[in-house]
Amino acid sequence: MTGYLRLQVLSALRDPRYIMLAIVAPIGFYLLFSALFGQETGAGGIQTQTALIVSMAVFGAMWAVLSATGPRIAQERSVGWLRQLQLLPVSAAAILTGRLLAALLIAGPAIVLVLLTGVIAHGVSLEAWRWLALLAVLWIGVVPVGALGMVIGYAADSEVAFGLVYGLYMVLAALGGLWMPMSILPSGLQTIGKLLPSYRAADLGWRILAGRTIDFSSVLILLAWTVVCALLALAFSRRTARSH
Amino acid sequence: MIAIQRPRPGAGNAAPADEQSVSTDDAVRIQGLTKRFGALRAVDALSLDIRRGETVALLGPNGAGKTTTVSMLLGLLAPDGGTVSVLGMPPAAAIQRGRIGAMLQDGSLMPGVRVAELLDYALSLAATPLARERLIATAGLAGLERRRVDRLSGGQTQRVRFALAIAGQPDVLVLDEPTAAMDVEARHEFWASMRQYTAAGRTVLFATHYLEEAEAFASRVVIIAHGRIVADGTVAELKRGAGSRTVRFRAGDGMGDGTQPGVLDDLPGVYVAERQGEYVTLKTSDADATVRALAAGSLDWRDLEVRTANLDDVFLSLVGNDAHNTNGGH
Repeated sequence: MTGYLRLQVLSALRDPRYIMLAIVAPIGFYLLFSALFGQETGAGGIQTQTALIVSMAVFGAMWAVLSATGPRIAQERSVGWLRQLQLLPVSAAAILTGRLLAALLIAGPAIVLVLLTGVIAHGVSLEAWRWLALLAVLWIGVVPVGALGMVIGYAADSEVAFGLVYGLYMVLAALGGLWMPMSILPSGLQTIGKLLPSYRAADLGWRILAGRTIDFSSVLILLAWTVVCALLALAFSRRTARSH
Repeated sequence: MIAIQRPRPGAGNAAPADEQSVSTDDAVRIQGLTKRFGALRAVDALSLDIRRGETVALLGPNGAGKTTTVSMLLGLLAPDGGTVSVLGMPPAAAIQRGRIGAMLQDGSLMPGVRVAELLDYALSLAATPLARERLIATAGLAGLERRRVDRLSGGQTQRVRFALAIAGQPDVLVLDEPTAAMDVEARHEFWASMRQYTAAGRTVLFATHYLEEAEAFASRVVIIAHGRIVADGTVAELKRGAGSRTVRFRAGDGMGDGTQPGVLDDLPGVYVAERQGEYVTLKTSDADATVRALAAGSLDWRDLEVRTANLDDVFLSLVGNDAHNTNGGH
């Protein structure tokens, strides 16, 4: 498992789009949005420049996990690598787990660097335990997004996988309230948005910033996304293994 | 059609009991294997036992069912009927235990990683890994370790895939058209590597449509056409089984222009007589008798040559002319 994890991480870090989309873009957006709206106070009584560290950390981490799963798996499938991998003495479960862990591993820098930017640029300060809790919930919060990427990777053709993942990424960010407060969306979209893992992951983070208690419905929704997507990914990966 | 049943070496007179017993000498046991794609029977009740230490060529024209057979042997494709066992276990189990290694006909490598990283990964999975230096040398990858696998040439990619197949020193090695993408030089290098590897007494099954590869590297040749085995034996046995030798000469002026069917056909041993221009070709089951008769007779002939049937002739006689029309101008 660690072997494939290592290969995945190496390969993902060498993709120039990773640095651009998972690290540079969220930090850039953070600096831009916080300069424009930073002094305002949003829902939950936190300053926007503080709330934005959560939004943009989730934004970057989502790209990290999506790009490390969806397009990558689809490509490995289409070039025939997955078939060759089936001939090595490694179990399908080890491959799947290695993939998900690799995706989470490369999400780490995306989260940490945005938080760090908040500290450096706007002096965001929290107690140590709150930083740690924030890091933990954001990290765990993108697990379902990684599972979703795996579903696309095993189900979609390599030509459409990148576009599909990117489109989904935009929808998750926009409807999940990462670019603008959820409250300005039409109520129908708010209903949908509140079911998305992007919103729920960020909401866990915002609550930690605001010192409010954890919303357990968020935990349940994230868990449901994870379980459903993992099962679908498993089913599609088995279908891939048998056909072709 | 000639079907040659090769006596199993060492099986001796005890052959009848062989059907049921699980012989530990068998590296591969395929029984009644069948795969249909729609109306097409790609593999049709194919049975094949391969003993340990054999190097077997699976020879046949494109579309004969070679790749389908190999895919089922490796557990990549579920058969519609029949069974496959590798070293007494299902293919997937043999792969998980590293007992069987394989190189498929095509397929790129994992994008974004270097040769050495990929090899180290394969070595880390193996219960009995080959020494790293030895693996690199055997597969001919020295100097390429730092190269990204997605920036290799076709032949280099093939060598990396070969390295992945042998990294765990599997007892059984399966290669599907291993040299299909290689130029002549690369093919020679590849088979030199293979010789090194098989010298240790490992079992190898390779599918090919290159007759000379089968002839040069296989201790046993299994010819398949339309999903069935049409011949099975050593190269020498196949040639003998095909029976024929060819006697060829130039007709002298005294022989006239006609094919003289009566005269040539009546020569001892001759079963086919053909004339093209001034050349006469006789297929004979007894070349000695044919030549004696020619020498003693009054026919006017010159430049006589006797040729043993080559594997090409055997192959053609078994799978027909469609073979050569479809195998890429070989």
